[in-house]
Amino acid sequence: MSAREDNPIAITEGELISMTRDLDEMHHESMREVNGNMASLTDRLAGIAQSQASRRSLLFGSLAVAGVGVLAACGSSSSGGGKTATGTTGSPSGSSPYMGDLKVVALAAALENLAVAGYGLVLSNATKGAYGKVPPAIAEFATVVQKQHKDHGAAWNSVLKGAGLPQVTGTPLTIAPQAVSALKSAKTLGDVAKVARGLESAAAQTYVFAAANVSDSGGIATAASIAPVEAMHEAILLFVLGQYPVPNADIGISGAVQPSALTA
Amino acid sequence: MSDSLDGPVLDEPGLACLMEESQDLHADAMRAGRHQLDDYVAAAKESSFARSRGLGAGALVVGAAGATVLGSALPAFAAGNTDVQVLQTAASIENLAVATYGVALGLPFIGGGSANPVVKAFAQMTMKQHQDHAKGFNAAVKQLGGKEQHNPDPKYLAYVNSQKPKLTNASAVAGLAIALEDVAAQTYTKNVSQVSTGDLRQLFAGVAGVEAQHKAILLAVKALIDGGAPQLIALPPKLNKLPKAAGSVGFPDTFYPTKSASPASEGAVK
Repeated sequence: MSAREDNPIAITEGELISMTRDLDEMHHESMREVNGNMASLTDRLAGIAQSQASRRSLLFGSLAVAGVGVLAACGSSSSGGGKTATGTTGSPSGSSPYMGDLKVVALAAALENLAVAGYGLVLSNATKGAYGKVPPAIAEFATVVQKQHKDHGAAWNSVLKGAGLPQVTGTPLTIAPQAVSALKSAKTLGDVAKVARGLESAAAQTYVFAAANVSDSGGIATAASIAPVEAMHEAILLFVLGQYPVPNADIGISGAVQPSALTA
Repeated sequence: MSDSLDGPVLDEPGLACLMEESQDLHADAMRAGRHQLDDYVAAAKESSFARSRGLGAGALVVGAAGATVLGSALPAFAAGNTDVQVLQTAASIENLAVATYGVALGLPFIGGGSANPVVKAFAQMTMKQHQDHAKGFNAAVKQLGGKEQHNPDPKYLAYVNSQKPKLTNASAVAGLAIALEDVAAQTYTKNVSQVSTGDLRQLFAGVAGVEAQHKAILLAVKALIDGGAPQLIALPPKLNKLPKAAGSVGFPDTFYPTKSASPASEGAVK
């Protein structure tokens, strides 16, 4: 084994940090574009939210007839940009403040929160030595990915706040208990990576689904700009797992989390 | 813990097995993609023809007579149709990617005896995925009455040609591939907001994600090569040998940018 293999961090860190600095500048440029999309989305959806409030009782009836959303009980607040929707169990769908495109926005925020919580749990467990010695690259992956998911969640919540709706600060999703349970029972980094891969894949597919199915142009552009990022997370996780990192020619939507999974 | 998560590093036969499984998945995905294209084409024909005649989509005559009228009108609207231009430009980007990976695989350190087997397998599979993307985009163009695009994107062809003499090592090849994958991903991410139907938005969003995945792996590979540790490019990787920064170098953007997206007309058939 060469000296480089013995101490790989010292070899490549400087060059990689330099690359990261360049990429940070690119990131700030792209953020300006995203902020523009989010601002226009917020303006348009704020008006929609107000009109939805007056039509809510009618829509409840329609949804019930269509059989949409047989959901568990949930703790969510009911009004105002300063309020929040939390928890992993939900109220009947009929009381949801989120309709149409805004339901997809809330779903996206909840999915991002689930990812943030999941990586947080993993990082916390890793610190306690639950997975043995954690390679620096894996800790870095989890830390940076968690930060990106936080930013995604904040972006979606800014839309909800702008529309006068409760922000989603918890994980009100039907899929959350199973995901959290799987992460809690993970004994190795391999177990963790498999669960994380599943979440990233579901997120990427959900954003592809959203890009195709929401009607607002800002929402379409934002979903389209997040889907590739989640797909990149997934590719790295597949590589870590020793699987082919880009197995499909299309991200697909068969694994997308449907709006009916939102319990807030 | 062990170096990697799942057992020993794969050798050539192991990689071949993995590639076979991957190609099965790929074939399934492409079948699903073609269904999307078929749905899109049906929707686009209906909505575009209706718009060109000042009709609502529901006013179209359905049946043999209607289909004949629709068929004769398709080339006319296809010529200036944004969806067709976007699809042709996408096909041109894919054609260039296929050609470039072909050139790369002809180099001894990418596709020859001195190549890293993981890099070689990745280049082969990625070229195939780009071939399938090009076929899919052109199939949609054809069904919409447009001319298939079999040429490479003219703007980036010039760039690739300028880089060919510099392709003397794996890092340079990876850098060129990253640039092409990024242009493709940025273009398709932008296209999602430019096209006229949900089916086509889904198609472009789905393919953009795949090009972004190619880019993520290439960024990680290039970083390891440039860091003097190409031996760490293996499946599965030796995780505890990887530098810390390798954990995040593959996904530099929180939101995928579009400022370098190709305009819809860039690769359109004139």
